[in-house]
Amino acid sequence: MTQTPAEESETPGVVSRRGFLASAGVVSSYVAAGVAGFAGGALTVNAAQASTPEKEAQLRAGQQSATIPFYGEYQAGIMTPLQSYGTYMAFTLNPSTTLSQARSMMQLLTDDAARLGKGKPTLPDGEPYLATEPARLTSTFGFGPGFFTKLGLQGSIPAGFTELPSFSIDKLQPEFSGGDLVIHVGADNPLTVAHAARQLSRTAHTFAEPAWSQSGFNRPQYGVASDQTGRNLFGQVDGTVNPRSAKEFDSQVWATSGPQWFRDGTCLVVRRIQMDFAGWDKLDDTKKETAMGRNLHNGAPLTGTKEFDTPDLKATYENGMPVIASFAHVRRAKTDNPAEKFLRRPLNYEDGLLPSGEPNAGLIFAAYMTDIQKQFVPVQQRLADLDLMNTWTTPIGSAVFALPPGCQPGGYIGEGLLG
Amino acid sequence: MKNSTSATKRGLSLVAVAIAALALGGCAPATPEPVTPTASDVWIKAVPELMDGMAMTGVFMTLENPSDEDIVLVGATNTTEGLTETPMEIHEVVKNDAGEMVMQMVEGGIVIPAKGSVTLKPGGYHVMYWDLLKPIPVGSHVTLTLEFSNDTTLDVDAVARDISTYAG
Repeated sequence: MTQTPAEESETPGVVSRRGFLASAGVVSSYVAAGVAGFAGGALTVNAAQASTPEKEAQLRAGQQSATIPFYGEYQAGIMTPLQSYGTYMAFTLNPSTTLSQARSMMQLLTDDAARLGKGKPTLPDGEPYLATEPARLTSTFGFGPGFFTKLGLQGSIPAGFTELPSFSIDKLQPEFSGGDLVIHVGADNPLTVAHAARQLSRTAHTFAEPAWSQSGFNRPQYGVASDQTGRNLFGQVDGTVNPRSAKEFDSQVWATSGPQWFRDGTCLVVRRIQMDFAGWDKLDDTKKETAMGRNLHNGAPLTGTKEFDTPDLKATYENGMPVIASFAHVRRAKTDNPAEKFLRRPLNYEDGLLPSGEPNAGLIFAAYMTDIQKQFVPVQQRLADLDLMNTWTTPIGSAVFALPPGCQPGGYIGEGLLG
Repeated sequence: MKNSTSATKRGLSLVAVAIAALALGGCAPATPEPVTPTASDVWIKAVPELMDGMAMTGVFMTLENPSDEDIVLVGATNTTEGLTETPMEIHEVVKNDAGEMVMQMVEGGIVIPAKGSVTLKPGGYHVMYWDLLKPIPVGSHVTLTLEFSNDTTLDVDAVARDISTYAG
């Protein structure tokens, strides 16, 4: 099997110190982003050859100062190319919080997010120097079902925004489920994410109690061939069929009908998927590829050679067996129905060890779509009914949110609903 | 004392400007309009509920002085209806002889240097509200008028923010 760049860039000393598999994703991320990557990692060979230390330093400084506009038609952090680090935080509205206080909360959060996105501290920032490296920071806000019911806004709930049905594979834990308000922070610098998350959670805390917080990471984009999708901790490429063009976003992600406040907004599904590494490690490459229906080295479907080749579900071996098995994840998830496509913006998580000593690790599956019922539920139902990957993955958290559109300077996120 | 100091300073500067203008144009200058500093990022530490005898809080901001001479923030007046009857004060936090951080009035006010700025922030300079008559909830706004040594004034709006991340 062809080695992946990420594997090549891990040094044995680092891996043995950090532990087997549990930290592999974290280690590769740091190596790729840091000095070791420049010293010899395959990830940055091309960049290193064409460059000097001064140019590298400039390039890295540019990355840390890069900004994503906060104001606009859509909220930032959705169409924004996936950052290396992210945190999803959910809150439960205080019983005493009124509609006018919810408005106040969103005005303050908007002000905080706009400042942080420019690399500026929030007004009450106690650590203003942590705000100076925005590193493509985005802050995105959404409302859970309880936000509408608690504030008397039931009449404004978009038709396609519903709770998920309970799936047979679910083993949901309350500490990763539900919530009235979600704040998603993403950036290419983990310190930036942590700081922004703390600033925004302080503002929310006056009006709501923290419900859960989930942080994760992805391969840095810098120094990596841009045409390959990121990998999860099972080594699988994840997000191949994502919308990429503005036209695809218009048809899959941004709301064009429904309540006026929701136009150019979207729905978010956050599912925490725990991975069973003990079971996964028992599989050889062929079994892993059969379960997924894609090869491991570049994510191509088993009927193709490149990641973005379309899987041929009809292809069979000479003995008549399908090349992509009946239970393969790709077959179960694939749809030709344009109404069942959506954006995946996953984060890997690695939070120490389970009591068993196995890695407490998996995937924060974050999906964005106009209509949960029509786009997401049919796909998730097919996967719940039959997908061999269910053997090694367990959904342990689930939450849904409706995300308002963006806003212009002087306005605030959610103004169409709360104004 | 602070008034006489700033008045003297202003007088000297005016003379300087006059001389410069005469040198350039050779005719008598009009009296220049005094420059009003600008205020940005104005906020006030929220007071969600009034504590017995502790109903006070501070206003923070960044003041910029685009002019060629120092301007001093010498006072402030509350313009929010029903918020307080007690005059506001300009304060700073300093270490006393015992090594404790204490709040005290700033002698002569806060200097905004020429072509420069000064930031009022927690643990440093602030404009002090005393004897609040009602709470200042997070997200609410109060208004006040800042008074400067060159007799200019500036109306500002301060948004109330919480300062602690995990206040109960």
